[in-house]
Amino acid sequence: MTPDRPRNTPRAAPDDVSLTLSEDMMAAEYVLGTLDPDERDDARARIASDFTFAALVQYWERRLGELHALTGDVEPPAAVWDAIRAKLGTAAPGAEMRLPEVGPPASAPAAGNDVELRARLARWRNLSALTGSLAATLLLFAVMQITAPGLLPSRLRPKSEAAAPTVAVTQAAPPARYVAVLAREATSPAFILTVDVANRNLTVRRVSAPREPGKSYELWLISGKSPAPRSLGLVGTGDFTQSSDLDFDDPASIGEATFAVSLEPEGGSPTGAPSNVIFLGKPVESIPAPASQSEAH
Amino acid sequence: MLTSPELVWLLAAVAKGDEAALERLYRATRPKLYGVVLRILRRADLADEVMQETYLKVWSSAGQFDPGACSPVTWMIAIARNRAIDLVRRKQETSTEEEPEVMEVAAAGPDPLAGREMNEAFKRLLACMGRLDEERRRLVLLAYYSGWSREQLAAEFDKPVNTIKTWLRRALFEIRECLGS
Repeated sequence: MTPDRPRNTPRAAPDDVSLTLSEDMMAAEYVLGTLDPDERDDARARIASDFTFAALVQYWERRLGELHALTGDVEPPAAVWDAIRAKLGTAAPGAEMRLPEVGPPASAPAAGNDVELRARLARWRNLSALTGSLAATLLLFAVMQITAPGLLPSRLRPKSEAAAPTVAVTQAAPPARYVAVLAREATSPAFILTVDVANRNLTVRRVSAPREPGKSYELWLISGKSPAPRSLGLVGTGDFTQSSDLDFDDPASIGEATFAVSLEPEGGSPTGAPSNVIFLGKPVESIPAPASQSEAH
Repeated sequence: MLTSPELVWLLAAVAKGDEAALERLYRATRPKLYGVVLRILRRADLADEVMQETYLKVWSSAGQFDPGACSPVTWMIAIARNRAIDLVRRKQETSTEEEPEVMEVAAAGPDPLAGREMNEAFKRLLACMGRLDEERRRLVLLAYYSGWSREQLAAEFDKPVNTIKTWLRRALFEIRECLGS
């Protein structure tokens, strides 16, 4: 038997001694479909609240899912697609992104930064109706990062990914305060970073950075405080990578820091230092802290 | 069917609200998903319903697809199977007359994989399934392909439900041990 290649290594690490066999078997039976309805409900609740259990389910879905290769194809009636298309409007991806209402920022952001950034953002992203203001754009990012967190490296992953949406949506009111555009040239932004210092949250949105098979993008913080670039983790392969519980040495100095993305061998820099920095950017204070924070709930 | 990278790309477009991408994704994956759910539900009207739910779920959740975790088809099949099994269990709770007809799974005959490329993960799974006792293997396959409940399996194998539960877990444990981490 050939060993797994590294990228096939399952996230559900069965070597975690805290995992009991019964959890693993419950996940397996959930995927197989043999739990009774009450047990299925329990399993679903656990998927939503327990990342470890969710990872076990994911392991079994991937493993047993291979069996689909043996099922025969059957063409569905044409009416099925018509029914799906008719319902798209009511189940649009945007439908799950309920934008919380926010008032205007307590004070106007620095005009130059704001105007320039807004112009850039407008060029790079067609956010249609929501491009009206930078605040709305950033809020959209904040909400999208919640509804579509995408792939997160394990060390950047929130403790309970599945539980994040409802909590985080209500917390979206104080939006990210810093935006950093990581680019080689001003005209081709590769990544946009939003940094919410208060909540120690960072989101990387992939804009034009090409996907590099077999390689990983790694995010670095270069600040006056630390002599060497500090790794903030790998950038996921999805459109969004979100990181919470960021440990900023000195949150007040984040505005002076520089963010960089390097291209590394898959899995990250082997040396602990960036191998090949390809995108750089400085954060811009986009939205000042609100004078009085509204209730988060 | 399109290749996995193409499907990943389509899912990314779907996550951005691209209807044309959803239609292409549907065209590429519908016979596979319909085959999966029809086998479990054995009724075209229910299979149609589950197909709609599945693609609407794909439409609203494509952004949650993690290409590092599994292939797009595996992800979509997991959604479809879960819906189908939930539906079939609800039906079974309300009516008991729906005894499943015995379906031959992985029956002898033309190899459904003939001429197809088998990926390594699938070969490994088959090897591990092959190590199971024949009865246990049939148990797992009936549960996976036909979505049978423990009660239905108990009737089919003429064993108490608890025995079926033990067999299932034993078989799954052996598969886990064989596949390794």
